[in-house]
Amino acid sequence: MTTVDQPSDSTSMPAGPGLDPTALPPERSRGRAASASRLAVGAIAALVLLGLPLVLEAQRLVHPLHILIMICLYATLAQAWNILGGYAGQISLGNAVFFGVGAYTSTLLMTRIGLSPWLGILVGMFVAVLVSLAIGYPCFRLGGHYFAIATIAVGEIVQTLFINWREVGGASGIHLPLLPEAFVNFQFHSSKLPYYYIALAMAAIAFGCAFLVERSRLGYYFRAIKGDPLAARSLGVKITRYKLYAIAISAALTAMAGTLYAQYILVIDPESVLPLSLSVLICLVAVLGGIGSIWGPLLGALVLIPLSEGTRVYLAQSGGGGRAIDLMVYGALIVLVAVFQPGGLVAISRRFRGRG
Amino acid sequence: MPTEVLLQAVASGLLMGCVYALIAVGLSLIFGLMEIVNFAHGEFLMLAMFTTFWLALLFGIDPLLSVPICAALLFVLGVLVYKGIISRILSAPMLAQIFATFGLGVFLRSAAQFFWSADYRVVPNHVVEGRLNLGGLFLGWPQVVASIAALLAFGTLYLFVTRTEVGLAIQATSEDREAAALMGISSDRMFMLGWGIGSLCVGIAGALLANFLPIFPDVGFLFALLAYIAVALGGFGSIVGALVAGVIIGLVEAIGGLFWPSFKYVAVFVLYLMVVLVRPQGLFGRY
Amino acid sequence: MPLLEVRDLTMRFGGLVANDSVSLHVDADEIVGLIGPNGAGKTTLFSCISGTLRATNGQVLLEGQDVVGQTPEEICWRGIARTFQIVRTFREMTVLENVMVGALLRASGTSQARVDAEEVLELTGLAHKRHVLGAGLTIAERKRVELARALATRPKLLMLDEVMAGLNPRERQEAIDLVRTAHARGIAILMVEHVMEVIMPISDRVVVLTNGRKLLEGRPEAVSRNEEVIKAYLGERYRAVIAEPPAC
Repeated sequence: MTTVDQPSDSTSMPAGPGLDPTALPPERSRGRAASASRLAVGAIAALVLLGLPLVLEAQRLVHPLHILIMICLYATLAQAWNILGGYAGQISLGNAVFFGVGAYTSTLLMTRIGLSPWLGILVGMFVAVLVSLAIGYPCFRLGGHYFAIATIAVGEIVQTLFINWREVGGASGIHLPLLPEAFVNFQFHSSKLPYYYIALAMAAIAFGCAFLVERSRLGYYFRAIKGDPLAARSLGVKITRYKLYAIAISAALTAMAGTLYAQYILVIDPESVLPLSLSVLICLVAVLGGIGSIWGPLLGALVLIPLSEGTRVYLAQSGGGGRAIDLMVYGALIVLVAVFQPGGLVAISRRFRGRG
Repeated sequence: MPTEVLLQAVASGLLMGCVYALIAVGLSLIFGLMEIVNFAHGEFLMLAMFTTFWLALLFGIDPLLSVPICAALLFVLGVLVYKGIISRILSAPMLAQIFATFGLGVFLRSAAQFFWSADYRVVPNHVVEGRLNLGGLFLGWPQVVASIAALLAFGTLYLFVTRTEVGLAIQATSEDREAAALMGISSDRMFMLGWGIGSLCVGIAGALLANFLPIFPDVGFLFALLAYIAVALGGFGSIVGALVAGVIIGLVEAIGGLFWPSFKYVAVFVLYLMVVLVRPQGLFGRY
Repeated sequence: MPLLEVRDLTMRFGGLVANDSVSLHVDADEIVGLIGPNGAGKTTLFSCISGTLRATNGQVLLEGQDVVGQTPEEICWRGIARTFQIVRTFREMTVLENVMVGALLRASGTSQARVDAEEVLELTGLAHKRHVLGAGLTIAERKRVELARALATRPKLLMLDEVMAGLNPRERQEAIDLVRTAHARGIAILMVEHVMEVIMPISDRVVVLTNGRKLLEGRPEAVSRNEEVIKAYLGERYRAVIAEPPAC
């Protein structure tokens, strides 16, 4: 499920890569043509990402634009999770804590001292990093399921604290005051387009981070820690320190998205920004897409978010009902992927590419 | 604070603790066998509660009579889930295992919501009602019955695992899969049985809880969470650990709720964190 | 001053004494063999030296500095690398990536580490497998990757835990050659082997452990003639025969 893209070593491929299931596909041998076509695909993708919303906007298709924003938001969150859970193998079911910290920090700074949410983002990220270190430092001593359950416990504790914390609105949360539409206020009322571009930029930042992580010492160490912590230590990897790096990066990116959410929805409360279900959804997106690979989170978000938003609208129009059909499909998809293709959608698409 | 109030809390904590223990032991049994955490455990509980509800509503079957029915149905469910899903991912990475059961949980919960809506339901006219007056200590009869039944089920399970041939085979398989296989114990059959029995436990617990708790699709979540914590607290795979931890959690919840009602579960979570951080293998863990 | 000096090292697990006041040393240019029957405490001693376990008593001096209580990663940084008896290859990483993890210890970045790792791959004869995932290797190859990975950390002392076990004669010879190559590069070697025949030809000195204690040490020829050693091993063989299931 892991690939390496090292353009430098195009000379050396195992003899029969197609026959050996563990050998990597012969991507490098395609050489320049491949990189040119990749460039073309990238250019088209960029054009669609930047241009499509303009078309939607012109057609006054508000809902599709909302879905695109949500895709970017969840792609960001899932990528942040992927860095911690996918690369470093630390299964967090408490990432909503960082999301909530980001949302609450920037919102409180705005409502209390009038700080621009743009600065609030930075403060929120910083606070989230501190929180993540406080969680990670003790909890990283726990392995496997114990760590996952500890993050659930921490998440539940934090949510309860916020529900009972009157000064920050308690269970009813905070309504953000409507400010004049302006970039500095991070509020746009006449169109969702600015939110889309901001969300897209955030997703790009998250993907850039994952890209850098994957190619740097961090990426190698993260994967070594995931693979075998004891072996990693005996090779000189300071595993606690690197796990803390992973959770800090994850927390910062998640908090960033938290501020976007607060500014976009303009209401935050513990039930919407801190629940376990959000933590779970974040990691479902990443896992469905395929963890430990850079495109997994995007693929996961592309599949799950339209599905969930689409069914929601469909059910609302058709008169309601259980309203949980999207989650039903999710659940079934997750089971199928886990059973038949543990590498996620990325692995499936890779298999098709390999054959084609 | 008057002593009676405290005693009252301790008593109801003990009662709930027994039910928590029964839920947790199912989880623990499966984990001990194959190191897989069933993240759909809470949904199994929910299904048992809904089964009890529908049996009562449609056929007028009392929750207590539903206990064996739920036990049998959940046993079958457990076996089916093992056959259909778990047996295919025995050697898959831990994440795939987590998400297979996780996805199943999400599916079952939302299916329940889709078909039966998110409304709270209560089992109509059950036989066991009212309160037991124990020298000024008032205990709900349904709770008392539930805890006694849970303890009975727990004891039966314990005897089954430690005294019967099949139970010993299960234990042998959890100790050392390969060695047990050499002795002619099919680990596949033991795993299947483990899933069946683990689910059976939660089926019994579900029918008992339906006697006095509202039933809704998300009802299993909190119980499952407490069960995970009980299992981690007691030590994954330890049957006695599950009982002790279940009772401890029941007590902490009840006493915590007395002093800080909105933070009673926080007390449980903090306890869990404190224990595993000091003793990562849990109270009775083997490693 | 020896490169590594272990002084009166004792390791207890509850009531069980796995190592009882063991002392040994390895000089900078030596290959030292550590032998002994099953359960003699060889792997435990390795774990104590490499920091995976913390010795109950005694000292582990690396170039005169006590490293007891330091983490495995610190000890690796100071120049001791080890392999594991039960291989711990990173299964989802390629051979090259496995070795790069080791090389990153002293490399400034990934491109430097890649160059260093390639060099080690050439040296260890793994270059043609560089893009194969750890999960897709044979046992012999995995052991070789472990060794390559350890070498890539540029250790002063390389500790090999049964790298020959489970190899066929040809693979075994290749492994011996590899150990010699590493030694020729100025790396001291402390190797555990269960099988005496393997270790005798390449060791400068042999230390024998039984029941957690050092029985004796000396030149390979002297040790292999020693009666106590023969007894310890014969006893072991005898037990091994009994333990084997009846022929079928």
